[in-house]
Amino acid sequence: MLIKVKRGWELPESAAISESQYLNRRSLLKKLAVGSVLAGSALSGGMSLSRRAYAETDPSADLYPVSANGKYTVPERPLTSEKDATTYNNFYEFGTHKGIYEDAQAMKLRPWEIRIDGLVEKEMTLDIDGLLSKVQLEERVYRHRCVETWAMTVPWSGFPMSQLIALAKPLSGAKYIRMETLADKEAMSNLGAFWYPWPYTEGVTMEEGMNDLCFMVTGLFGKPLPKQNGAPLRIALPWKYGFKSIKSIVRFTFTDERPVGYWEELQDSEYGFWANVNPEVPHPRWSQAQERLLTTGDTVPTQLYNGYGEFVAGLYSGLQESEGIRLFR
Amino acid sequence: MIDYPWNDRAGRFNWLRMAAFTLAVAPALWIAVDAATGGLGAKPLTETIHRTGHWAVRFLLISLAMTPVRRITGWNRVITVRRMLGLTAFSYAVVHLALFIPDQGWKLGHVASEIVLRPYLTIGFIALLGLAALAATSTDAMIRRLGRRWQVLHRIVYGLVALGLLHFFMQSKINATEAALMTGFWLLLMGWRLAHRMGASLKSPSVMAMVAIGAALTAALTEALWYGAATGVPWRAVLEANLMLTPWPRPAVITLIVGLVTVPLPLVKPVLDRLRRSVKRSSRGSTSIRA
Ligand code: HEM
Repeated sequence: MLIKVKRGWELPESAAISESQYLNRRSLLKKLAVGSVLAGSALSGGMSLSRRAYAETDPSADLYPVSANGKYTVPERPLTSEKDATTYNNFYEFGTHKGIYEDAQAMKLRPWEIRIDGLVEKEMTLDIDGLLSKVQLEERVYRHRCVETWAMTVPWSGFPMSQLIALAKPLSGAKYIRMETLADKEAMSNLGAFWYPWPYTEGVTMEEGMNDLCFMVTGLFGKPLPKQNGAPLRIALPWKYGFKSIKSIVRFTFTDERPVGYWEELQDSEYGFWANVNPEVPHPRWSQAQERLLTTGDTVPTQLYNGYGEFVAGLYSGLQESEGIRLFR
Repeated sequence: MIDYPWNDRAGRFNWLRMAAFTLAVAPALWIAVDAATGGLGAKPLTETIHRTGHWAVRFLLISLAMTPVRRITGWNRVITVRRMLGLTAFSYAVVHLALFIPDQGWKLGHVASEIVLRPYLTIGFIALLGLAALAATSTDAMIRRLGRRWQVLHRIVYGLVALGLLHFFMQSKINATEAALMTGFWLLLMGWRLAHRMGASLKSPSVMAMVAIGAALTAALTEALWYGAATGVPWRAVLEANLMLTPWPRPAVITLIVGLVTVPLPLVKPVLDRLRRSVKRSSRGSTSIRA
């Protein structure tokens, strides 16, 4: 079954671009071109070896690059270098520091089964390649704002979550989607720290999931998603703090109960369910007023909903900030 | 004549001072090399703030270790590098704060308001002010002028380290392992001081073992208390984790190991001294007179 969602802005196949063509497309950003060539050559260390080997064996490699969705671009910011985006990562299953990209290579991507359960017409298990054949891939450039005040701008490949929801056929009682990360003790050393609430979980409301901005990610920089970035399937919720954008997903549960995520469980005063970006609402321990861009190192002001208010502010217009609902933390 | 840090007061080259000086500058060189080769990662400034903070705490602990090490080993000369190590800690802390300014986009108003608004920064700032007071009173002239009051003043360093450790705990995102480990070491150092004050000898294996066990237990409780009070991590699980060495030994366990490793240290110097004496004697060719 191929779900074809028609979009007026969809570009013809000929608009599919290679990584080097990015740079032409953003011809204004010469600075970036230099930066990414440098980054590219710097990558030819241990990283490129493992990634090349990985690209050869990833059965989805020839799906990329995919055509760009012109609606989602970030003209005002240069792209983060591929090296920075793939070597500075939070993925606590592999360790609590940022340099987990080597350890993350231990994760096995095939077979990769995705369970869809809870309030759906029929519970099912899909394998990732089956899922990829049922959806329409496209590329979007999004800003990404970490709660730790760093930010990046990268081209994700993937498909809107609405396509996955259409596949899952949720029942009318479903109000939330709870998502779960792989928990493989063999590959993920930090699962040995049993006092943390593994597996990592996160959730969105059905309305958020149906919002066009809510993007299931399978690729990055016109290639299959690297493991450290959440391969083979993660989410990108660019208007929320990064911890909401759960990685390496193995399960979607449709439910009528608000899910409690990993971070909310650990520190609910600091990391809540809604966690929408807002420069005026500080984290209890630091200000969220500005952010530092990876690669350029520039410090720039943070924007409400990370600049995506036109797409998502409506989702929250009916909600009042209150004890039970903390929209911005 | 220039007062090189590796010379003793008489201006002669001194190996112990050279070793301390090397230790003091090594982390800075390491950071500089990493900075030049991209080894600091995608956020070099943040990484350097973290590393200088770590080294400030480590050097504070190392300088606090000199007095008990002297008492344990009987090796009196270690005291001659204490001041250098303390000033090193202060220097790393100053760089640590200085880097926070570009980290905040060079907005001094923002730096100030952050220090006032965020308790962990306020605490770090108080610790740094205290260290500045100690550094300023570390010249020979000040030591002479203050006399006994110098001792009393410099005892605040124990509390300043505690503030630094609290700052360390508070800035951690859910994983406070490193802060807990440093706290374990600090507890060992305080335990040795307490034992000495109470008249116990740090050369006694039973005293040393008791301090090690006491420090480790306190470290385990402190860590569990932190997680229980400040996070949603179940404190019982954190306590239990001390009982297993996998996936890695917990801070309290490492504290215990380090504490116990020091138990035989009082034997080292006497053995070395005897060896040295006999080497001297034999080199004089006087082996025959040995009784
Ligand atoms: C005005 C004074 C200070 C300021 C503004 C300051 C600022 C900071 C900042 C911004 C961080 C990083 C937090 C994060 O990334 O979330 C940090 C971490 C840290 N600071 Fe400070 N600090 C100060 C004083 C001190 C002092 C006096 C010490 C040591 C005695 C110290 C030791 C540390 C340590 C150990 C860390 C943790 C590093 C890590 O875990 O990687 N700080 N501090």
